Amino acid sequence: MTEKSYRGGLLKIVVLAIALFAMIIISFIGSEVGSGIVGSKPISFLNVEAPKYHPAPERPFHNLPITNTMITAWISIVVLGGLFFFGTRNMKLVPTGLQNFLELIVEAAANFIEDPAGEKHGRWFFSVCTTIFLFVVGNAWLSLIPGFETISVNGEPLFRNANTDLNVPAALAVVSFCFVEYWGFKAKGIAYLKTFFHFGPLWQAIKFILAGNIKAGAGGLLNGFVAVFAGLLEILSHLIRMMSFTFRLFGNMTAGMILVMIMLFLIPWVLPTIFYGMEAFFGFVQAMIFGGLTLGFACAAVMEEE
Amino acid sequence: MEIWADVAKLIGAGLAIGLGALGPGIGIGILGMGAMNALGRNPEARGAIMTNMILAIAFAEAVAIYALVVAILLIFVA
Repeated sequence: MTEKSYRGGLLKIVVLAIALFAMIIISFIGSEVGSGIVGSKPISFLNVEAPKYHPAPERPFHNLPITNTMITAWISIVVLGGLFFFGTRNMKLVPTGLQNFLELIVEAAANFIEDPAGEKHGRWFFSVCTTIFLFVVGNAWLSLIPGFETISVNGEPLFRNANTDLNVPAALAVVSFCFVEYWGFKAKGIAYLKTFFHFGPLWQAIKFILAGNIKAGAGGLLNGFVAVFAGLLEILSHLIRMMSFTFRLFGNMTAGMILVMIMLFLIPWVLPTIFYGMEAFFGFVQAMIFGGLTLGFACAAVMEEE
Repeated sequence: MEIWADVAKLIGAGLAIGLGALGPGIGIGILGMGAMNALGRNPEARGAIMTNMILAIAFAEAVAIYALVVAILLIFVA
């Protein structure tokens, strides 16, 4: 590369940066809040509506009990189902095109799961964890398509990110909880209940005391009570887990939605794009955390003790 | 009387997210420090450090998100 063309490239970048910065400043001054600070009149096409947030999903069709988040959840199911249906027609040994892409996803997920869980348990966990991941990431990325929350029917938005409806993360959390307990029973049988009701050490200590061995019994008694208490804490933690699953996903997605809306309201040009990209990233990270935490808890449930 | 309920709501929401963001902020700072230290000791492990750091940051951030949910509930629902 010659000196001159290098300089030309640098000049282009500088000009672009200045232009983008100018756009940010102009759009800030033109918007409602910025014009209030500067003391000028807001420019009509920069005057974005102040964000309104309804925690509950809206019903676009008044006489039908269908919420807009339900519609998007269906769309994401159809998109995922269609993708995998058409990707797995005419399967070839050496994959091409869509099949190649799907195999990339499935293989990455299989490696991610088999790493901590091992091959036998990894096969149990694979379908549920991967489905949760794909559903959450599908919902999150579909909602980035322009038209979501702007196309409205009967004054209510027709589409809205399904993860911002508290019911969807809650349903996923319940599914994840049920499967973790199911896998626990499947791996250990009825002995899995010992995780929650661990009376073994206590009985042992009481037996010692009844046999007259007070000294060994007294020390065992404390350990026994600790084991029982730890079991009760385990029950609590399994139930609270569901709640933290729910609010982590719901909160992250809702916060992202409000953040983009508020940035659009404050600075309509250029800057919201950054937050838009951040939303794409966080949708992926949250989906990975939901699936990965299910995997982690499942591994803890099936793990052999000593 | 009505107005005091609104005032309490706004103060409560502000305190909820303000105090709730304090802990996660410190936590993310410590996480970043740990990742930088690890990177300085072992620059080859950049990829693994990056993925794990982002995962851990997402967990720390989740606590701030709970506070945000409380603030949202206070303003829009309560």
